Amino acid sequence: MQKTQLLKMLAVGGAAALALAACGGGSDSGSGGAPDVPMYEGPVGDGEGQLNILAWPGYAEDGSTDPAADWITPFEEQTGCQVNVKVFGTSDEAVKLMQGGGWDVVSASGDATLRLIYGSNVQPVNTDLTPNYADIFPDLKMQSHNSVNGVAYGMPHGRGANLLVWNKDVVGETADSWSIMFEPDSPAAGGVGPYDSPIYIADAAVYLMATQPDLGIKDPYSLDQTQFDAAIALLKEQKALVSEYWSDYNKQIEAITNGTMTGATSWQVLVNYYPENIGSTKAKEGATGWSDTWMIAKDTPNINCSYKWLDWIASPAINQQATAWFGEAPSNVKACDIDPQQCTDYHAGETAYWENVYYWNTPTEVCLDGRTDVKCVPYSEWSKAWSELRS
Amino acid sequence: MAATTASPPKGGFGYRHPRARLAALLAAPMTWLVVVYLGSLAALFLTAFWTVDGFTSAIVRTFTFDNFIEVFTTPAYLQTMLRTLGIAIAVTIVCLVLAIPVAYFMARVARPRWQPLLVAMILTPLWASYLVKVYAWRAMLTPENGVIAWFASPFGLGGPGFGEVGIIITLTYLWLPYMILPVYAGFIRLPNSMLDASADLGAKGWRTFRSVIIPMIFPSVVAGSIFTFSLSLGDYITAQIVGGKVIMLGNVVQQNYVTNLPFAAAFATIPVVIVLMYLAIVRRSGALENL
Amino acid sequence: MSTAIRLTGLRKTFGDVVAVDSVDLEVADGEFLTLLGPSGSGKTTVLRMVAGFEQPTAGAIELAGVDVTGTPPYNRDVNTVFQDYALFPHMNVLDNVEYGLRVKKVPKAERRSRAQEALDAVRLGDYGERKPSQLSGGQRQRVALARALVNKPRVLLLDEPLGALDLKLREQMQVELKELQREVGITFVFVTHDQEEALTMSDRIAVFDAGRIAQIGTPTEIYEHPKTAFVAGFVGVSNLLEAGAAATILGREGTWSVRPEKIRVMLGEASAEGNERAAAGTIHEVVYVGMATRFFVDLDAGGTLIAVQQNSHATSADVNAMRGQRVTLLWNTENEIHVGS
Ligand SMILES: Nc1ncnc2c1ncn2[C@@H]1O[C@H](COP(=O)(O)OP(=O)(O)OP(=O)(O)O)[C@@H](O)[C@H]1O
Ligand SMILES: [Mg+2]
Repeated sequence: MQKTQLLKMLAVGGAAALALAACGGGSDSGSGGAPDVPMYEGPVGDGEGQLNILAWPGYAEDGSTDPAADWITPFEEQTGCQVNVKVFGTSDEAVKLMQGGGWDVVSASGDATLRLIYGSNVQPVNTDLTPNYADIFPDLKMQSHNSVNGVAYGMPHGRGANLLVWNKDVVGETADSWSIMFEPDSPAAGGVGPYDSPIYIADAAVYLMATQPDLGIKDPYSLDQTQFDAAIALLKEQKALVSEYWSDYNKQIEAITNGTMTGATSWQVLVNYYPENIGSTKAKEGATGWSDTWMIAKDTPNINCSYKWLDWIASPAINQQATAWFGEAPSNVKACDIDPQQCTDYHAGETAYWENVYYWNTPTEVCLDGRTDVKCVPYSEWSKAWSELRS
Repeated sequence: MAATTASPPKGGFGYRHPRARLAALLAAPMTWLVVVYLGSLAALFLTAFWTVDGFTSAIVRTFTFDNFIEVFTTPAYLQTMLRTLGIAIAVTIVCLVLAIPVAYFMARVARPRWQPLLVAMILTPLWASYLVKVYAWRAMLTPENGVIAWFASPFGLGGPGFGEVGIIITLTYLWLPYMILPVYAGFIRLPNSMLDASADLGAKGWRTFRSVIIPMIFPSVVAGSIFTFSLSLGDYITAQIVGGKVIMLGNVVQQNYVTNLPFAAAFATIPVVIVLMYLAIVRRSGALENL
Repeated sequence: MSTAIRLTGLRKTFGDVVAVDSVDLEVADGEFLTLLGPSGSGKTTVLRMVAGFEQPTAGAIELAGVDVTGTPPYNRDVNTVFQDYALFPHMNVLDNVEYGLRVKKVPKAERRSRAQEALDAVRLGDYGERKPSQLSGGQRQRVALARALVNKPRVLLLDEPLGALDLKLREQMQVELKELQREVGITFVFVTHDQEEALTMSDRIAVFDAGRIAQIGTPTEIYEHPKTAFVAGFVGVSNLLEAGAAATILGREGTWSVRPEKIRVMLGEASAEGNERAAAGTIHEVVYVGMATRFFVDLDAGGTLIAVQQNSHATSADVNAMRGQRVTLLWNTENEIHVGS
């Protein structure tokens, strides 16, 4: 029902991702040590009258994209907090904007959260002050991407898994493995479509977890140099099979539907558009995915409005509306009472489904999987390695 | 006559201090040029010598040549540089080959009252969104069921598909007006009497074209090529959409500017240097003086 | 002497504008013919048709007895010196002059020496390396001349080649050009709207009026015996005695003209002697022009005549004092020219 809205929104997101943002100056932070930002004690009082939101496209809608999608106007009416939204296109852009300051809350994916936490750009969140936190799916709470040392840093918003899609005419009726994207004898050779971002290195790592257990990869975002090199080597081999790398949703929709891309990584929201001859599944090796978290800027002058927003966006009705609009699984259990079909489509409550979904995370030098005997390859190296691979 | 020579010139401040007046006149644009334009270039260049915190991507201001060393010692990056340069040169040449006859027709063959219409037609694509145009070319270039492939298949040919050729075709389409317009202006400026004189001295059409027309519109051609060359050199969106697996210089910058601004800056200085080198070559040829 | 150019019934229209209308003209080999006429009278158009840049609407063009009406410019043995010189700005002077020879594939050595010769002939032998933009107007004009002459054409067409020069240089170039033409013996067709230039340089003059030739003849014929009031007026000063005055003073029908320098001015009353004619009048304006003075005399019989007198002894103060005086004008009857009925 929301297909056109979604396409519109995706187009907006695509364009935003393409637009070059101004280069801000760097902050002097970045010690990499444990953050020491104090948590707000409460209580949440009257709003300051203003709230500056940094959001993914479709996460903070005020009815201007579509009159039906509006959860900002009622928020403003209820709280008196006037909202100002800026949309960003990539996690990297979000981090840059937060470093520049001036924003109160941000919807951060797992590959941005830790950078924000360790960069002292955000503050811990006192979940006692947000009643709706209690109804969040347990497997979304206190994850490695949204907490540090048992301290929560935000309010989960929604999640999704990166799916394997294939063209049945080329690959066959059924498929269950990323092998069609990685193995040289794949029937999809010449039509493989990986996601064009450094974070896709983790997808290779997920495949290696299954195919080369000797490497000992436990977390695709915690790769030591050996593991990382193996993933890059796999990706270099994959390059021969690739037809196109995609980062623009429109490009994938078009390439998949007209049959030039025959085996690819994709998202549920895109799969909804595909014709009968396109199969989709979560591959047996597991998958990367995203889990987004609303976080509060460290120096926000609008702390009350910020807490009110976190609680608002996680409330069952609003959470359902916002995640349905975007096309992902909601974070609030009660959201599924409102639209059970959405929760079935996006596997919201299926704990087992999410067990081998590795949410996007920020690789750091300190291994996220707890290893202390080795250094892991940090994200900036991932980024460079990806550029080199693509060159 | 001593009195006249000794008497000071009359007039206001500006008259007495022509330099001061000039300075006042140029102050605003010069400030803009120096601070905003050159300043940002300098900042870019300076940033290229810094490094980043590997975790937060925050800039760490310690001086290093590492970024440049990495750019120039990584074979893959050198390959991308060469590829980008090749694409930019190819686009410029194709634009040139297409623009000269088109501009000649517009300026010298078409009736004068059609000229504004023809110029408008050349300009029309510039009003359309860049993305729309590139996506249109994606539809044209799509292998097997794209428009070009469809037309080529009866002849047993495939379309160019996505890749270098697709990029060159698309960029040529995008930047062609920037070549046609200056060349057209060059043809318009060309006095008729030059062509008459050449014919008068015994030269037939082709000879006149080679010995008079081309040398006289050369500065316009150079102006156009500066546009097509530098626009192609810096483009990255076209490669994303119709490049298939192929990327250009700009894509590397775009992929890294947030996570590793210094590295991206080092990479971004390359096209700037290439364009400066191009301008230097052009300057030597003397074409800029007549621009 | 054979015919270099023959134009028969030449006509050219641009849309509704008739630029050239039924022009018949023969130019002899080695002749210096000037096309003289006011702006827009079709001089350039005739020249361009002879050169081949413009196709006639009707009529034929013959060069040395061969019909070239449809021949493109590059196949006509004719060269042009353009009004704006049309030197190629990207070539130096020598290359400009060599251009025609290079096109005709003349060997390099010969090319060089002929070009150098042509430049020497126009006294620009040392300027070969310069660009046209580094030359003065007169120098450019001479380069244009050398560029045309080096090809040794049968006919040289010159469209107001001296128009852009100042008076001094212009007079000097007129002499030089005439000398050059005599030396090389090429047929010159020269366009100007300056009657003095036409009179000093030409073997014959064709006076153009609205696309037609009003009169053609030697300078003397044109000047002394203009056939129409237009020619009389355009070549020299039109000093007309219209019907009424002509009847009273001359006792003749029609319009008559007397050249100003043929009239003597006598103070007070004077009577005609022999074949002289007398007309009384009042000086209403005096213009002192250095070597001569122009008197504007209102005739009692009606109309105004201009008389020019050498200032052999008079000063400007003397002549200025004559304003308002009664005078008698005297001239020889043989100087009365019938210019219209
Ligand atoms: N290309 C053209 N298109 C239309 N009309 C033209 C064209 N060339 C000349 N004419 C017209 O033809 C007439 C004759 O023009 P031409 O240039 O021959 O005059 P001209 O005697 O050389 O005048 P001038 O002394 O001003 O150079 C003019 O009325 C002019 O407007
Ligand atoms: Mg003329």
